[in-house]
Amino acid sequence: MLDPAVLAQILWTGIATSSYMVLFTIAFALVLKVLKLWNFAQAGMMAIAFYAMYVAVNQWGLPTAAAIAFGLAATLAATLAYEVLGLRTLRARRSSSLLFFIFTLVCSEFTAYALTLVFGTEPVPLFPEILSPTRIVAGVAVSDWDLLAVGVTILLGAALALYLRFSRDGQFLLAVSDSAELAELYGIDARRAYLVALAAASVFACAGMYLYGSRTAVIPTAPLQLMLFAVIATLLGGMGSVLGGALAAVFLSLLQSYSVLVIPSQWQGLILYVFLFVTILFFPTGVRRLWNTSTRS
Amino acid sequence: MEYVYSILILVGIYVILASSFNLIIGTAGLVSIAHPIFFALGAYTAGLLAIHFHLDPFLGAAAGALVAGAFSLMISLPSLRVSGDYLLITSIGFQLGLLQVIKNLELTGSQGGLNNIPTPVPGPERGWIFSAVSLAAAAATVLVIRWIVRGPYGRAIRAMRDDELAFVALGRNAMHIKIMIFAVGCAFAGVAGAIYAFYYQYVSPEQFEILASGTMLTMVVVGGMGSTWGPVVGAVLLLALPQAITFLRLPLAYMAPLQGMLFTLLVILFLFLRPQGLVAPEAPAPLRARRK
Amino acid sequence: MSAVLELERISKRFGGIVVADEITLEIERGQILGLIGPNGAGKTSLFNIVSGVVPADSGDIRVAGASVAGKAIHERARLGVTRTWQNMRLFRTMSVLENLVLAPQRYAGESLARLCFAPAGVHAADAEACERALGILGRMGLAQLADSAVVDLPYGQQKLVGLARALMNDGRCLLLDEPMAGVEGQAYETMKAVVRREAEAGRAVCVVEHNISFIKDLCTSAVFMSAGRILERGAIADLLASPTLAELYFGG
Repeated sequence: MLDPAVLAQILWTGIATSSYMVLFTIAFALVLKVLKLWNFAQAGMMAIAFYAMYVAVNQWGLPTAAAIAFGLAATLAATLAYEVLGLRTLRARRSSSLLFFIFTLVCSEFTAYALTLVFGTEPVPLFPEILSPTRIVAGVAVSDWDLLAVGVTILLGAALALYLRFSRDGQFLLAVSDSAELAELYGIDARRAYLVALAAASVFACAGMYLYGSRTAVIPTAPLQLMLFAVIATLLGGMGSVLGGALAAVFLSLLQSYSVLVIPSQWQGLILYVFLFVTILFFPTGVRRLWNTSTRS
Repeated sequence: MEYVYSILILVGIYVILASSFNLIIGTAGLVSIAHPIFFALGAYTAGLLAIHFHLDPFLGAAAGALVAGAFSLMISLPSLRVSGDYLLITSIGFQLGLLQVIKNLELTGSQGGLNNIPTPVPGPERGWIFSAVSLAAAAATVLVIRWIVRGPYGRAIRAMRDDELAFVALGRNAMHIKIMIFAVGCAFAGVAGAIYAFYYQYVSPEQFEILASGTMLTMVVVGGMGSTWGPVVGAVLLLALPQAITFLRLPLAYMAPLQGMLFTLLVILFLFLRPQGLVAPEAPAPLRARRK
Repeated sequence: MSAVLELERISKRFGGIVVADEITLEIERGQILGLIGPNGAGKTSLFNIVSGVVPADSGDIRVAGASVAGKAIHERARLGVTRTWQNMRLFRTMSVLENLVLAPQRYAGESLARLCFAPAGVHAADAEACERALGILGRMGLAQLADSAVVDLPYGQQKLVGLARALMNDGRCLLLDEPMAGVEGQAYETMKAVVRREAEAGRAVCVVEHNISFIKDLCTSAVFMSAGRILERGAIADLLASPTLAELYFGG
């Protein structure tokens, strides 16, 4: 039963599968950190990214690179409109967190309905072929997709880390996430930092949907489910921490993969929620800290 | 006629749902979207009790309310202990997690839903009896909530929202009030669920997903958060809207998403153009000094 | 006789900032203790620690001999810790009377169960609270403002409403956080008279105040705080005469 080859295979596949989850979680955690906003509109961003790439590939016959560029452009445009027309107005009015929450969630729902109207509820993959060539490495099946997924995730994660650490904008981002008011006193434009964070989140959402969509068929409401995973991972990872969220995403994915060995597959989805409740009951302190800072600013 | 009755029954159910949801988010300011799951808990509880024990429908509805209220504590107790805003994430996790359980349990009919719930009123009288019960329950809900909000308890809720720290420093137990309001609101949703189960005799898990939260949210936001009559107006209006679209005779595949788009678009428009909703909150009953 | 409020070696730090360093303090019935010191000395923080808004890192707090350590804010209020706030924190959508009616240590309308099963009792309690509130407002010369919205009142009167609400709360120890800031004229005299009368009625009062003449007129004794520590305690005149304190207070 506990054959080491099987365990190794699950480990590798689990890591590969966690890639897009890590990307979605980084997007979510970054926006939470900088904007102090539970960005439930991320599901809408993800849906737009996927269907834009889908149209580019399947209806216009564009090459992959061009399709990704188009998907990214569409996501960025939608996110820009969301921030400039929506969030800024709510911020200017000092709206309650309830209104922010309703707005972000409803944006995602609106997007899901609009896409359903256009594309229907039939699941569609990004490419007609969703199986990728596979080779055996040390007894473990490794597909091209696996390598691409892990590679892209590491690359983007490292790029973000370097950007935050060494670029001027990145530094501003961190300053704003510490305290938007204080940062503004030092002449840092918080609104610019918000835009940059949302743009970065768009990139991660788009990359994640490319990976997810090139292996799995997607329906317009699928991003909502995917985003919830990101929300839970963000929570588990200690909220304010992007790296923590990413690690939690890997951990949760692996846990789900390994759970195949112990619990029937239909119950796997439940593990996430059990974890959510365990976190809330026993590790609420990491959570408290961020809420305090967010209500202060 | 049967068509009119079915609409009236839905109006009753959604007035209960919107009013009780408004009590939670509008009046008490608790950020939760899990209202549909308490609707579901009421429906499944009443349905199961009717199937297995042939329980009296009124007792079934009471049981639905009780179960919904009790389960609400599973969200409110752990999350309000930490911070009010935390409730949101817990509520989403609870809603989706419990739906997963319902979808996988043999007892609740799994994915296919709960079938063959015996109806308490067979025969031709069914339509009007159900409409009467549903509308009466809705009226009772609205009046009870109005009574809570306008009385001494509502005064405490208002003070809590004005300044929670000053409120607790006077010896008021804000946590207790929040947990109580959340439980009461959820219990009302349980009653609505029971009415639903007895009328349709069939409950399926998909109808309680996050998109259903969106519908209820729309009714409250469009009607007017924190107002007594707002959610009533919102529920009636948003039930009428889809009926109006049916006259366009669009194919069924377009109907559902179109309706969803309209609903969500309405929420966005109202959030920005008329945040107070259609019906602004009425002034609370004034406490007048009685001088001798 | 034992003190109403006792603080024993209370310490608290936020990161590197010490707001309370082994503070030990007692206030007795009828005593009006002035708490003075420069801004940032930790005076308001001490109130926050006593009322439970901020947990102490170590030390014990006793009210009438019973420890309140680990108790929630509302539990401490019910044990008799009443406080006011620098910026009043009135319930701003409400009238003066409503602000007061909500303030007793026990508020009958807070229990939904009682409201359902014993509504007459709740309404009787409400009426009684109204009565008492009008009495307090009358003594403070605010009776004719009972039905006014608190936000419509001038600042000084809002301050008085804040004090009236605290009196309605009826705690055995009364912590007043800068009651005189921004208050002048008639309201000033009223404030002084009311605080003195409450102390004579047996409450233990502690006042944080920058207005030295108010402290001199009213307080029986005082402590001087700086950087989270009590530097000196004793009679007001002695404290004010100390050159090192004057240096710290006015020279900084």
